Amino acid sequence: MGNERLAGWDDIIFGIVKAFQLIFSGNPEVLEITFLSIRVSGLATILGSFIGIPLGATIALKKFPGKSLIISIINTLMGLPPVVVGLALYLLLSSSGPMGFLHILYTPEAMILAQLIMVVPIITGVTLSAVSSIDVKVRETAISLGANGLWETRIILNEARLGIVTSMVVGFGTAISEVGAIMIVGGNLLGYTRALTTAIVLQTSQGAFAEAIALGIILLILAFIVNLFLTLLQIHSKRGVYVSSFFGGISGTFKRR
Amino acid sequence: MKRHNLPEIVALVLTLILIIGGYFWQTDQKPRLIIATTTSTVDTGLLDYLKPYFDKKFNADMTWLYLGTGQALSVASRGDADVLLVHDKVREDAFINSGNGTHRVTVMYNDFVIIGPKEDPAGINGLNNATLAFQRIAKSGELGNTVFVSRGDGSGTNTLELKVWNNAGISPKSKSWYLETGQGMGPTIRIANEKQGYTITDRGTWIKLKKELKDLKLLVEKDNVLLNPYSIIIINPVKYPNINSELAEKFLLFMVSDEGQRLIGSFKIDDEQIFYPIFGKVETIGLPSEQQEVEYWVKKLIENGMQPPSYISIS
Repeated sequence: MGNERLAGWDDIIFGIVKAFQLIFSGNPEVLEITFLSIRVSGLATILGSFIGIPLGATIALKKFPGKSLIISIINTLMGLPPVVVGLALYLLLSSSGPMGFLHILYTPEAMILAQLIMVVPIITGVTLSAVSSIDVKVRETAISLGANGLWETRIILNEARLGIVTSMVVGFGTAISEVGAIMIVGGNLLGYTRALTTAIVLQTSQGAFAEAIALGIILLILAFIVNLFLTLLQIHSKRGVYVSSFFGGISGTFKRR
Repeated sequence: MKRHNLPEIVALVLTLILIIGGYFWQTDQKPRLIIATTTSTVDTGLLDYLKPYFDKKFNADMTWLYLGTGQALSVASRGDADVLLVHDKVREDAFINSGNGTHRVTVMYNDFVIIGPKEDPAGINGLNNATLAFQRIAKSGELGNTVFVSRGDGSGTNTLELKVWNNAGISPKSKSWYLETGQGMGPTIRIANEKQGYTITDRGTWIKLKKELKDLKLLVEKDNVLLNPYSIIIINPVKYPNINSELAEKFLLFMVSDEGQRLIGSFKIDDEQIFYPIFGKVETIGLPSEQQEVEYWVKKLIENGMQPPSYISIS
């Protein structure tokens, strides 16, 4: 049998073929699952950026007692185990839990909340280290040129813009590949809270390996697109593109308060 | 200082609109039923098979949480599911007795089988006594000839397995030949296949998987202890006012109606029937009568213009 050499590879090969069939046939269930993943993780990342970027920048720029303790805590939280986040959030959001009145267990909102909890420390931490690594000379120059607080912040954030965008990409990558938390608080309900990762877990346990591999490939393609975006931005930024004025504005507002 | 880069900003704004817009875009919302259920009803594909019929009949969206019976019961006892479809009579009764559930109706059954390697090192092939089979597996395991792969997840199957070990007078926990996977039935059978070990499974999941697992074989079946009845439990709507108890009741009615019972019986994998409808005649498989419940639900069926199974006489 000529197939002998391929023995054992069939699931993987069939999975890859199947992935492209699923992607190009526009299978509605696959589209729905993919869009849910983008929607949940995208929103968690955007909301996380609104919290994490100003927070990280503020911690990096301000001097205050206990700063190194705060940084250690943030670094620890960057590695929050998703299952633990999921379990804690489940107990909070459960009908019998203290926040049961919200009625958001087993909804995409609960999934966004779970991923937000994981993404905020990551965006905060990466922003913090990006801003901290800006040369002191830049700050001194800015001040010597008569920059006030807000102006100084904007210059520094502009210098750290790549690190800040990286923080968002890393946050999104963590969110979209996470399974433990959204499985528990989302419930993996068909057509409602079934995301790429939770669908992969279910299909694996049902032995639908080819379909699981196919969804895995879609997940990889999404990650690739996001990273491609980052790389393009890096190339652009060498030409002096001002990308962080948007974030600088937000953070500036935050700092003035 | 301000050098706006138009394409960049447009891209950013578009991404934002796409994600936020996508968030608010939702298809029409039908009332959703959340069934907390055991892995076998999902792994066999039964619920996928029933969903379109139920959804169409009640204009609803039937969904399910894929759990073991143990987790299903605890999720339900926190008020996080609308209805239960499980298979562990002892814990089901405990659930009802603690006031968490109001009705429990046996709707279908199948049976458990003991499967193992084709070579059968423990020599249990053809036995119809699960207890004796487990004793032989333990003996063979002690000699280092085989392993037993257990769900180890507090599911209905796991509970039954522990009951058989108990009957056999063996406590297998922490024995070197006893592996606990902590996973669903499908993954556990696959692990048994890899390890060339024995395990106990519901027949449905076995039928679903057997053609791809060529090293395993059905060895022991048809012992009374291996009977596997599935029940629907209505969760107490007074205790849990937030659940969708109306749709939960519709689900039970659907499952015990003539249509539902027929559908359960007609669900097949590779021409083999997986579940046997049993509403209203549990006595025939040696279970205690549920006459009161049966009368109650038959009355409800008629009230709702639905047909009870033909073998139930309407007095």
